[in-house]
Amino acid sequence: MRLSVAAAISHGRVQRRLGLNPRSRLDLLRNLVTALVRHERIEAPWARADEMRGYAERLIEYAKLGDTDERAMRMANFWLTEKDLIHKLFKVLAPRFQPHPGSYTRLLQIPNRDSLDRAKMAVIELKGNPFPPLITPRRDTDKTLLNQLLKGYREDMQQGTPV
Amino acid sequence: ALVVVCSPLPRLRGLLQRCWGRLERGLLPGFSGGQSPPWGPALAVQAPAFVPEPVSDTRERDEVPSLFESILWMAAPKKRRTIEVNRCRRRNPNKLIEVKRNIDVCPECGNLKQKHVLCGYCYAKVKAETRLIRMEIGKKERGPFNTPTVETVVLYDGEKPTEKDEGKRIIERARKRPSWFVQN
Repeated sequence: MRLSVAAAISHGRVQRRLGLNPRSRLDLLRNLVTALVRHERIEAPWARADEMRGYAERLIEYAKLGDTDERAMRMANFWLTEKDLIHKLFKVLAPRFQPHPGSYTRLLQIPNRDSLDRAKMAVIELKGNPFPPLITPRRDTDKTLLNQLLKGYREDMQQGTPV
Repeated sequence: ALVVVCSPLPRLRGLLQRCWGRLERGLLPGFSGGQSPPWGPALAVQAPAFVPEPVSDTRERDEVPSLFESILWMAAPKKRRTIEVNRCRRRNPNKLIEVKRNIDVCPECGNLKQKHVLCGYCYAKVKAETRLIRMEIGKKERGPFNTPTVETVVLYDGEKPTEKDEGKRIIERARKRPSWFVQN
């Protein structure tokens, strides 16, 4: 019978512990959000990018309320340390994402960092950015081997059964 | 109260006898023989709970007795581990490195990639192109904190802005459009 439980159970807590203390965690995430709004595609350790994603999406939802809204302006003022990005947020990103109901960011894992720590890295980007796409969706063409074989089989069946 | 400890080790018994001797001499000068004298307090004074041992004890204290006796209480292997036992421990499956079965071939470039991770070669390609685009943006903005309040679109050699690109900032790249960067 197990008399002691493992100490590393979070019991439902969803926030990660980053940085030195909770204030430093918020500062780290704030820097990442500012960088994302500025550059629209950034590379970061996966845990930080994942943590930041929720905050970035909520900020865009606040921005969708419009810049006359007092709460939205206060949020944008806190989360974006570079004040010219507040203009970009309300005038560029809010109209861009107005038709979409949610999920304004894309988080993809990339190969581990090349330095000694081999950290798990991710790239997070805002959808609709002007840069080249990271994943190109492949259309199923007729030229693949499998599709050619299936086509041949279908033709054989059509010719075979009447004869 | 008298406590009798019978121990198989002579050295242990000797140590305990010495300790008991010290206690006798230190605590009760009139106690020698084995009978228990009346334990009432001769004089009621405020005294510490323990009786400190006299410091001027000429017996050697820490070097020889604690080393020679304490060696008996330290853990040591009894027998040499044979190579068969060693091999069983070292080659146990939980000590071997796990075999990764989630490696695939990237359909674009043919390099190996993990299934849930982006292809390293393709990502490096996209990253290089993004860096060049950002350099062009930097040349256009000419300074920090000059983010425009309009969208951006990237056009390559010989491409004209369409009617969808009305009111957007144009970034020119002086090369042919790469095949993996589809317009719009």
